[in-house]
Amino acid sequence: MIRSLLASPAVSVALSIAFYGIALALHRRWRALPPIIVASIPIVALLLITNESYRIYNRGGDLLTWWLGPATVALAVPMYRNGLALRRSLPRLGIIVFCAALVGMITAGVVAWLLGAPRAVVMSAIPKSVTTPIAVEVCQELHGIPQITVGMVILAGILGASLGQLLLRLIRVRDDRAIGAAIGSASHGIGTASLVRHSEMQTSVSSWAMAACGVFTSLLAAILSLYLR
Amino acid sequence: MFDFLRGIVVLLAFFFGGSWLHRWGVPIPGGVLGLLLFYFAMVTGVLKLRWVESAADFLLRHMVLLFVPLTVGLMDLGPLLSRQAAAILASLVVSFIAVLFTAGLLARWLLADVPAEECAATEPLP
Repeated sequence: MIRSLLASPAVSVALSIAFYGIALALHRRWRALPPIIVASIPIVALLLITNESYRIYNRGGDLLTWWLGPATVALAVPMYRNGLALRRSLPRLGIIVFCAALVGMITAGVVAWLLGAPRAVVMSAIPKSVTTPIAVEVCQELHGIPQITVGMVILAGILGASLGQLLLRLIRVRDDRAIGAAIGSASHGIGTASLVRHSEMQTSVSSWAMAACGVFTSLLAAILSLYLR
Repeated sequence: MFDFLRGIVVLLAFFFGGSWLHRWGVPIPGGVLGLLLFYFAMVTGVLKLRWVESAADFLLRHMVLLFVPLTVGLMDLGPLLSRQAAAILASLVVSFIAVLFTAGLLARWLLADVPAEECAATEPLP
């Protein structure tokens, strides 16, 4: 029954939207439930139960994934808006986020490589700190596996949202702008969303930092891919 | 509604422009090129923020939906993931802490003598 239904891409899209809607509603009740995980698990379960292949589901899924491109362009809006508000700190914030992006790419790639991961996995790990749409583009540039990148990006976000503030307190980083820069660089949107309840300044810096970290990472990845060629 | 559609058209135009440049050999991903062009269009005043605000905010607010299919795709990578689990998790945790501490400490040091701005409220992103 579902076999014949999934043959049409529209059904996969509808299915994804439906479970996303449910996940959002649950997230509103229980803040600790990350919508991406709550939305994905039932779809995986459904595909497994009906013995349906991911490839068939993804014919429709690709239509959604494609919109990550325009979503990347849309990131210019929070970058511009918060850039205006932060004008005085911007040059230094740029240096800070650039160094964070560089350190993130090197540590992620080197640790995976040292532990014997194959090249495609190493390349998938490199963009793991940045917001999903940019991470996916960078991963494709480097011939990694986008699914692994997305998984790592989500986990980096959840780590930052749950432990970021605590870890920063351990090293006595208390300035609102420093907290925002650190969470935005390390945990993109998921981390940024966790700051909203704490401080406007943290949120604003973090939104700027997540977009900037994505831009710097893709510039650095371009240099890396030229070097690897 | 008109504002929203206009915004979507502008975003798509910049995305296609960026992708086109990328195909012609600029090594930066198309979406990021679009982002940069769009950013400079706003800085120089060629484009007004309010023309795209509603569309961009909508797309970013529901970005999670857009990466549901890739997340579901992890189901096909079971064997590779279990073989590489240690490398992937170690890389994730070490790099996460490295980025957090680099940015946090560097910011504490570099921003110490720059007074904080009055802050403008912003929409939270997902």
